[in-house]
Amino acid sequence: MRSGLVGFGILASLLIVAAAVPIYAPYDVVRKWNSLEPWLDNPETAAPEWSEIFSGKHEPRTTIYEDDAFRKVVVHAQVPGLNLTLINYTKSFYWDYDNFPSELSLSLAATFPGQSPLVEVYWVRPDGQYLQLTVRSIGGEYRNRSYVIPLSTDLAVRTSIRNWVLFEGVIPAGDVPRADDILPEVVLFAKNDSAQLNFRSANLLKGRYELVVRYTGFTQFDDVEGRFILYGTVFGLVGTDDQRRDLLTGLLWGAPVALLFGVVAAVVVVFVQTLLGALSGWYGGAIDTLVQRTADFYLIIPTLPILIMIALFYNLGIIAILVVLIAFGIVGSTTKVVRSIVLQIKEEQFIEAAQSYGASRGRILFKYIVPRIMPYTFALVALNVPAFIFVEASLSFLGLGDPMLPTWGKVLGEAYTQNAPFYGWWWWVAFPAAGIIYTTIGFALLGYAFDKVLNPRLREE
Amino acid sequence: MGLARHLVKRGVFLAFTLVLAIFITVIIANGGGLIDEILKSQIETELRQQLNNDPAYRRLPPEEQALIFNRTYNARVAARGLNQPFIEKSVRFTVDALLLDLGRSVELTSTSGSHSVADIIGERLPRTLALFTMANAIGAILGIWLGLWMARKALTVFDRGMTVLSVTTFIVPPWVYGIFFILLFGFQLRWFPTGGWIGVPAPRPGTLAWYGDVLYHMLLPMLTFAFATFGSWSYTTRNLVLQIMDEDFVTAARAKGLPERTVLSKYVLRAASPPIVTSLALTLISAWQGAIITETVFHYEGIGILFFRAIDAFDAPVVIGLTAIYAYLLVVTVFILDLIYGFLDPRIRALRR
Repeated sequence: MRSGLVGFGILASLLIVAAAVPIYAPYDVVRKWNSLEPWLDNPETAAPEWSEIFSGKHEPRTTIYEDDAFRKVVVHAQVPGLNLTLINYTKSFYWDYDNFPSELSLSLAATFPGQSPLVEVYWVRPDGQYLQLTVRSIGGEYRNRSYVIPLSTDLAVRTSIRNWVLFEGVIPAGDVPRADDILPEVVLFAKNDSAQLNFRSANLLKGRYELVVRYTGFTQFDDVEGRFILYGTVFGLVGTDDQRRDLLTGLLWGAPVALLFGVVAAVVVVFVQTLLGALSGWYGGAIDTLVQRTADFYLIIPTLPILIMIALFYNLGIIAILVVLIAFGIVGSTTKVVRSIVLQIKEEQFIEAAQSYGASRGRILFKYIVPRIMPYTFALVALNVPAFIFVEASLSFLGLGDPMLPTWGKVLGEAYTQNAPFYGWWWWVAFPAAGIIYTTIGFALLGYAFDKVLNPRLREE
Repeated sequence: MGLARHLVKRGVFLAFTLVLAIFITVIIANGGGLIDEILKSQIETELRQQLNNDPAYRRLPPEEQALIFNRTYNARVAARGLNQPFIEKSVRFTVDALLLDLGRSVELTSTSGSHSVADIIGERLPRTLALFTMANAIGAILGIWLGLWMARKALTVFDRGMTVLSVTTFIVPPWVYGIFFILLFGFQLRWFPTGGWIGVPAPRPGTLAWYGDVLYHMLLPMLTFAFATFGSWSYTTRNLVLQIMDEDFVTAARAKGLPERTVLSKYVLRAASPPIVTSLALTLISAWQGAIITETVFHYEGIGILFFRAIDAFDAPVVIGLTAIYAYLLVVTVFILDLIYGFLDPRIRALRR
């Protein structure tokens, strides 16, 4: 019985998750699962935060410095014919993590009624060195939206870092790669030694860093607000995927979807199959032959390939997939199991008794036989749920599941399309797979416990 | 006589199943006129290429060109029977599929560059057959052996532990375990290749090194598969054996003083084998279908991963062809098992006399 309790506990925990999910991630968050914007502040393919216990390093978290974290000094200067606004906009921070950040990004929201302002960005390091990252003017099209300088990928930034490395001269000029291969988030945070350019062996320089933005505006009404993001290497409980999505949201939403899909499909299919199996066993004759042959047929046809074909050619949502799946499950192994049980019950004396007082065949079936089968169907439902969860997961894995909802199979499929195991993004595949295993084992244990109660042969004394 | 009749009866039923399954496939695929569209666009492309290579045609004025094009196009569409009523067409497509005339792919090709769907599937089918036959054999042998052992030690801690392990492992399909096994044994411990069906660069086909490399790439998928299926075998075998051990003929065999080993292998297992074969059919059917994801997870280039690639490229003829091949595969599997069942079940052979 212990296994049954464990199974029950697993399912209860999933139900709690399913009930709590809307609080952690409301449905409108899930609706945004497929869009990019809501996730931009998360690091890309970041491991779970707790995974740092394996490396023993304190891995960087994502740090976002909003405007109010910056120190801002504004000077209005009057030159003949010009009203200048000079803004010194700085953020100083202490880098104490044991690893490099994964990405740097600076966005500037400038207010400039007049000419395009000039922006210079400097980087000041704990070892006293400093360098200009970029100097550029913000074009008129950025009057109403933020100007983003993706410090990690911007070619101008990479080029200035390369020039700075060459100027420092610690690394022979021949060993300095092209600007495309410079990783700013490593080089800027690395000790100025021969390994500085190698992202595998670079030595981290801890200490106080400063990002300096010098803004030159050409009216006295110019202003600037900034946002500086140091992306971490770890995120949340289960990490992120290549589109910076918080996988926890997807995984948590996967639980109710899988449960609902599996349970609804299993209940309907087992109910219909039980009914047909009982009819087949009780009435015999032509009905029996028809039902049994159809069941044989349904068991042999390639259901999954046909489902794949339907999902691919007709673009189904999750409800339609459920309906098709049920249509392909109206007869099957449960029909056969139930039929054999009915054939046994048929010979029992209480049926004979009912017949002798003139009960109709239909009455005997529904009042005497079906109630006797009902307990078995509980076990059969529990044992059938996993199969349907896997069908849904398989279709989603192949990219044929519901287009909107994040499900475990879909997350797995995307991970495989992006070759996640190859790149070592284990959290992206391990957790959805673990979710599937956890759920199905819950149902398996429950079904097994029911089975033991119903089949005394299996009972352990 | 009994065996022959059993086989003929099953053969007729399975042939009927095959035809019906492929007919359903065709109906579903062509329900929205998809097959028609594919064939028409293929005719159009072919015709355009052919005409553009004809200097006489190129010199004609555009109206004349269009006229010729339309006339030839319509004639070819009619010749392929695409103007026929839906049912008639469907019957013809079914016959084509049954004869393994699976048409031409849109994008995918075989290694030799052939666009014939039969070629594309044909070059991959042996790999899938080899992998899953061996994997099933390993899972079955391991599971039956364990099941016998569990039955002998029934109700001990060993039996209970193994029962729970069996029930909880076989419910999860191989590809889910595959994900973990690849991470652990492939990437972390580096004991097995992490995917593919042959190394790069591949040894010369047919050499001993080639067979060795192919086998080496099959190891992890096979082990994963065996791990995922042994439970179904051990659980079924254990329960069957326990049931049979209570029968009179077993008691009689024991009373004769036969050693326990002989009783188990000659009497109990013999009686348990027909139902085991029946459950093998269901296991194999789900294994073949599970191959679609299992092979994708292992990047094993069989017919399963071909589904994944065909879906990705929206190569409808390949998907339809694969579904037809799957119908064949399942029907043939069941027929072979029926054959084995016929030999094993004494009731069927008894009809001989």
